[in-house]
Amino acid sequence: MTRKALYLAAAAITASALALPFWGFAMSAPQYPGETLQLQVGREGITGDVHEVETLQHYIGVRFPTELPELRWVTRGILGLAGLLLLAAFTAESRLGRVYRGACALVFVLLLGASAAVVQGRLYQVGHERNPNAPIRAIRDFTPPLVGPVKVGNFTVWSFPHVGAALLLAASGLALFGTRAPARRPTGHGRRLHARQNEAAA
Amino acid sequence: MKRHPLVVVVLTVAATLGAVQIFGCGASRSAKSLAAEKVYVPPGELDKYYGFLSGGQSGSVFVVGIPSGRLLREIPVFEPRAAYGYAMNDTDPRRQLLDATGGAWGDTHHPMLSEKNGVFDGRYLWINDLANGRLARIRLDYFETDRIIKIPNLQGAHGIAVVSPDTRYIVVNGEFEQPTDGLVTNPAPYTSVVAFVEPESMVVKFEVRVNGNIDIADTSKDGRYSFSTVYNLEQGKDMGSMIQYDRDAVAAIDIPLAEKLAGEGRGEVRNGVPILDPAQHAGLMTLIPVPKNPHGVNATPDGRYVIASGKLSPTVTIIDAKTLAIVAEPEVGLGPLHTTFDDRGNAFTSLFLDSQVVKWNIDRAVKGASDYIVDRINVHYNIGHLQAVGGDSMRPSGDYLLALNKLSKDQYLPVGPDLPENQEIIDISGEQMKMLASFPTPPEPHDATFISASVLQSIVKQVYTPTDDAVAVGKESVVRTGPHSVAVNMTLIRSAYTPDTFEVKEGDIVTMKITNVETIRDMIHGFALPDHNLNVALPPGDTKTVTFAAGKPGAYWFYCTNFCSALHLEMRGRMLVQPKDSTVTLTDWHAGENVKGQVVPGVPSTGARP
Repeated sequence: MTRKALYLAAAAITASALALPFWGFAMSAPQYPGETLQLQVGREGITGDVHEVETLQHYIGVRFPTELPELRWVTRGILGLAGLLLLAAFTAESRLGRVYRGACALVFVLLLGASAAVVQGRLYQVGHERNPNAPIRAIRDFTPPLVGPVKVGNFTVWSFPHVGAALLLAASGLALFGTRAPARRPTGHGRRLHARQNEAAA
Repeated sequence: MKRHPLVVVVLTVAATLGAVQIFGCGASRSAKSLAAEKVYVPPGELDKYYGFLSGGQSGSVFVVGIPSGRLLREIPVFEPRAAYGYAMNDTDPRRQLLDATGGAWGDTHHPMLSEKNGVFDGRYLWINDLANGRLARIRLDYFETDRIIKIPNLQGAHGIAVVSPDTRYIVVNGEFEQPTDGLVTNPAPYTSVVAFVEPESMVVKFEVRVNGNIDIADTSKDGRYSFSTVYNLEQGKDMGSMIQYDRDAVAAIDIPLAEKLAGEGRGEVRNGVPILDPAQHAGLMTLIPVPKNPHGVNATPDGRYVIASGKLSPTVTIIDAKTLAIVAEPEVGLGPLHTTFDDRGNAFTSLFLDSQVVKWNIDRAVKGASDYIVDRINVHYNIGHLQAVGGDSMRPSGDYLLALNKLSKDQYLPVGPDLPENQEIIDISGEQMKMLASFPTPPEPHDATFISASVLQSIVKQVYTPTDDAVAVGKESVVRTGPHSVAVNMTLIRSAYTPDTFEVKEGDIVTMKITNVETIRDMIHGFALPDHNLNVALPPGDTKTVTFAAGKPGAYWFYCTNFCSALHLEMRGRMLVQPKDSTVTLTDWHAGENVKGQVVPGVPSTGARP
C-alpha cells in the first residue's frame, strides 16, 4: 500500500467515524434479564435507552447530562483531522513532508487523549455531582472507568469505546504508520533483487 | 426344633411387609421421579406449549404452561377482574359491552384457536358464553378480549368450532331450543340454530335450523361439513321426554351449500340473520343416526373420520367424514364423552362414568378387529373433556394429554366444601399411557387447547404502541369542561402521577384519561381511587379512560396497585374534593405549571443534545 493510499484511507475512516457512536454504555441488572440497557454517545448526542435510564436515574440522584457542548469541538476536531490526513496523502518525500506527517500523527494522538480526558471527566461528574436528596441513600459516589465495569447499586455499568472510537483508533494507527511508510512499494524488479540478495546472504 | 405355627405366620407376614416396604416403595419412587422429570421445568426455563383452558363459570380463560401445569395468567372475558382493571367501572367500554350483550358474567366452555392450513397460527382464540349466548374473540398478540358478540336467535351457545383448515367461520351451536317465532304461547315444538360467524368481522352470516338440542361441534378438515351432536330429537321440554328415542343424531351441515343458499337470500331473516331451514333445502343438513343423547364429536387429524361419543351408550360411532356413512360403532367403556388423537392413528376417549381415559386404535376398530383397545388409565375423577396437544389440529404432537376432571374429591388438601378442579397431565408418547402430574384450578375448565410456544412466543407483544389519543408527557392537564364536569389527562411512570394533585367539587363528573408512558415490559401501573369503586391497570404504553362522580368532600389518595419500583408505596397522589357549595374557584392546570409550583419527580427530560 502506498503512502498516498494509506492517508486517503485514514482520512476516509476518520470522517466516517462521525456517523457512528463514539462511546457506549451497557447496563445490566437482575430485573432486566437478557435485555441490557444501552446508551451511545455520538455526534448527535446521547441515544439508545435514554427514556428508561432517565426514568431510573432519579432514584439514585444521578443527573443525566442534558448538554454536551464538547461534542461540537470533537466534531470539528475530527473533521479537521480528516482534512489534515487528506492533505498528508499529497505530501512529498521531503523534510517538510515528513514534519507535516509527524504533526498529523501528533495532533491525532493529542485529540484522542483530550477526548478520553473529557469523557473521563464527564464520567466522574455523573458519579459525583448527584442530588443529595435522592430517594435511595445506599449508593456511594462512583466513577465509571473509561473502559470496563463499575457496580452502581443493582446495576453493572460497562463503558467502552464504540465503533466510532475504534475507527478513530485505527485511523490514528494509520497516521502513525504513515510517518514511516515509503512513498511507493518496491517494484517487481526491486523485489526480485531483494530476494536474490537475501539468498546470497544466506 | 418345633416352631409355633403362629410365630411362623407372624414372621412370614413381617418379612413380606418388609419386602414390600423396601422394593415396592423403591420402585414407586423411581416411577415418580421419572414422571416428575417429564413435567419439571426448572425456574427460568420455559414450557413447551401454551395451554388455554376455559374458565367455565369464572367467565374467563386460564393460560397454563405445558408440561409444567404452571398457571401463567387468567384472561378475563365475560366477568370484570379488578386485578387486570378489566371492565371494572360502569363507564369502561368493555363493561358497557358486557352489560349490553347479556351481563357481567359468563360460562365459558370451548376455547378454539384460529387455523391456517389445518394448524394453529396463534392469531385468535374464540370462546363461548353458554349462559348468555355470546361469542368472544381474544387477540393472542396482547392476550386480551377483543370482541364480544351476542348471537341472535339462539340461547345457550354451547359447542363451538373453527371451520378447518383456514378458519372460514366459527360454528356456534344453540343448545337451548326456543319457540320458533319467539312467542311462548306458541304450542309448536321448540327448535334451535347453528350459527356461522365470520372470524374477522365477527358478524353472524347465516344460521341453520335444527329440531333438537345442539351440543358439541367440530368440522371436517376440508371445510365441507360442520358436525354437531344433537340430542332430544323428540323435541321434549322435560328430561323424561328427551330420552325416549333410541337414536339421536350427528347433524352434518354442508357449509358451501349453506353459504350459497344464504347468498341467494333463501333464508328467513330474523334479527338481521338469515335462518336456513333444512326441511326446505335438500342436502343442506344430513342427520346421521347415533345412539341417543350423544355428546362429543371430533374429527380425526387425517380428515378421514368424525367420531361421536355415546355418553349414555358405551360406544363411539365412527363416521366417514366424506360419505357421512357409519363405518363402525365400537364399545369403549362407560360414559364416553370426548375423543382426541395422537400422531400414530390412536384415539383417546374420556369415560365419565368409568373415570378413565381409554386409548384405542382407529384402523383396528374400523376393520372390526377385537384388539382395538390399546390401554386404559384411571383419572381422578369423572373426566369431562380431554385434549391431546395438537389433537384438534391436523398435526397432533402425540406427547401430552390433558384430562379435565369434574371432581377432585381426595386429590388436594381440603379447602372447605368448594373443591378445586383437577387437571391431570398424561404421557401418551408410548404404547401405554403414564400419569405424570396434576394441577388444581379454580372453577371450572371444561375444555382446553394447546399451541406450540415456538409459534406463539414470536407473536406476543409486551408493550403497547401508544395510540394517537394517548396523553403525552408535558401535555397533562386538568380542565373544567362544564359546570359539573372535569377532564383530567394524566400520565404515569415510575414513580409518579402527573398531575399528582387535582381538585374537583362534590358530584362533579370526572373523566380521566390515563396513559402509562413506560416503554419497558412488565412495568404495569395501577390507578386505584379509594371509595370510588375504581381500579385501572395500565400496562406500558396503554391508555384507559374512566368516568366517575366525585364523592363526599375530602382528600382521596389515588395509588399504584401494581408493584413497580422502590418508590411504589410513595407512588400516589390526591384528588381533593371541595364541597358542592364551596366558593373556591378551581382553575385549570396544564403541565409545566405544577399545582404546587415544583417540578414533578420522575418526569423524563428529552435526551441530551450537543
